[in-house]
Amino acid sequence: MAQKYDLFFRQAASGRFVPLIIGAMVYLAALALAGSMAIGQVIETWSEDLRGTLTVQIPAGDPAAGGASAQINSALSILLETPGVDWAEPVPVDDINSLLRPWFGEAGVPDDLPLPALIEVQLLPGAELDAAKLGQHLDQAVPDAILFDNGAWLQHLVRFARSVQWVAGIVVALVGGTAIAIIVFATRAGLSVHRRTIELLHTIGAKDGYIARQFQYHSLRLGFAGGILGLAIATVTLIVLAILAEQAGAGMLPKMSLTWEHLIVLGILPVASALIATLTARAIVMRALREMP
Amino acid sequence: MGKDLISGLGDGARSNRRAAKVAESQYRMVRFENVGMRYGVGPEVLSDIDFSLKPGSFHFLTGPSGAGKTSLLRLMYLAHRPSRGRIGMFGRNITKLKRRALPALRRRIGVVFQDFRLLDHLTALENVALPLRIAGARKDEIEKHVSELLDWVGLEKQIHARPPTLSDGEKQRVAIARAVIGRPSLLLADEPTGNIDPDQGLRILRLFDELNKIGTTVLIATHDRGLVSRFGRPELHLEEGALTFRPGLVADVPNETAKGAPTTPEPAATPKASTAKTA
Repeated sequence: MAQKYDLFFRQAASGRFVPLIIGAMVYLAALALAGSMAIGQVIETWSEDLRGTLTVQIPAGDPAAGGASAQINSALSILLETPGVDWAEPVPVDDINSLLRPWFGEAGVPDDLPLPALIEVQLLPGAELDAAKLGQHLDQAVPDAILFDNGAWLQHLVRFARSVQWVAGIVVALVGGTAIAIIVFATRAGLSVHRRTIELLHTIGAKDGYIARQFQYHSLRLGFAGGILGLAIATVTLIVLAILAEQAGAGMLPKMSLTWEHLIVLGILPVASALIATLTARAIVMRALREMP
Repeated sequence: MGKDLISGLGDGARSNRRAAKVAESQYRMVRFENVGMRYGVGPEVLSDIDFSLKPGSFHFLTGPSGAGKTSLLRLMYLAHRPSRGRIGMFGRNITKLKRRALPALRRRIGVVFQDFRLLDHLTALENVALPLRIAGARKDEIEKHVSELLDWVGLEKQIHARPPTLSDGEKQRVAIARAVIGRPSLLLADEPTGNIDPDQGLRILRLFDELNKIGTTVLIATHDRGLVSRFGRPELHLEEGALTFRPGLVADVPNETAKGAPTTPEPAATPKASTAKTA
């Protein structure tokens, strides 16, 4: 004999609208989580690339007078003598042109455009360096040289990115809360619709747990179906966004990507929605049944 | 009815009888002492109800509509707690029992309703199997017993039919099969013939009588005077707030299967001064 629900859940409207609402919630949660995780990945990349680095900008020199090589050498000698500096190297012109190419297109940077020279500086691990003092020293030796403390700049970006992550977390929490509220509503409606059947099941000796399981399995199915639906649409959305980002802003936008770990987290969303639906339904039903004789 | 099933039901009933005899000195099968009942904060619908039922007895619970018959049955099948007084069942004071102890007791009580209360999305076989499934019985055991029982109530050809396709008489027989599949010690029926024609009603009553003969204590609420007088079993009569006992008038039952059957059990109700108020 096939195992069936004792309660006829197909009569309930919850079977139709709850998966759609849960699907919408999971969709929003997936986008918020994907955004948050992508930003986290960018922060991580920036931190790895820029941690303990400085950049010195030397104004473009007169090409007729040999350019800015004298100023570059002067700045390099100061930098290399500074305690805590591991190494300092001028950024190749080709690299500078590559950085500027998104703004100038395939034609590249015009040859007659004066470009400042850049010196990349790597500090020793754990080195404490007074960037302001070093900047003054450089300015005295090489007028108009500018020292960029990448760490300080990075801190502002990281703070902003963390704020975005917090907002994403709040979105996920609100979405989760809304999903729970929907399950509570649907479960209470189900309890009301099936009240006589529940009384009958009690009369023939059913324990509360048996009746609660009927609602649990129903909610589990609804939660999982909604989760799969929401994740499927979110996946399509993320793929489309990734394609559009690649086409529209290659090089101008920070490269955002999701790792396998991130994809696993997104893949868990339907399981999480099913679990939340199951536990919520059980809690509501058990509480309601305790009020019955 | 299959012999195995009958003997099985009989074994269950015999062991129930033994257990009940032990407890009889205190609570008998059912014992109400000064019981009152109200719904919510409303007035008492039953007041000072006193009576007891011996194991293996067969009684009708009679009275006009609104007399409180259904309320009295609800107390007996543990769907409602008394507002006062003491109820003993199967030797236990159920007024003091914790809620989690009730399912085990409820499994010893079979209940048949006037409106059948079958689950329309389940087949006759699945409806009857429900108490066994709830009790965690094995699948093969369930199928064997349920098929035999549906055979006994004459529905062997409708085991896969769903209730909406059955006549009212057939539905009630499915409901009876569901009520007795767990071999209850006590069988309660609330107007079981109220929604079916007289011939089907008589057939239903014969099923109850057969169950009683193998030891099941039976109490049937009805206001069908004709049926009561035809079966001649003792009555608990609830009217205008008073519960009175009326001894049975006819000893034999108009049922061919009852010929040569054991003597109808002695009237077991021993009501004291009792009252029942209507809502």
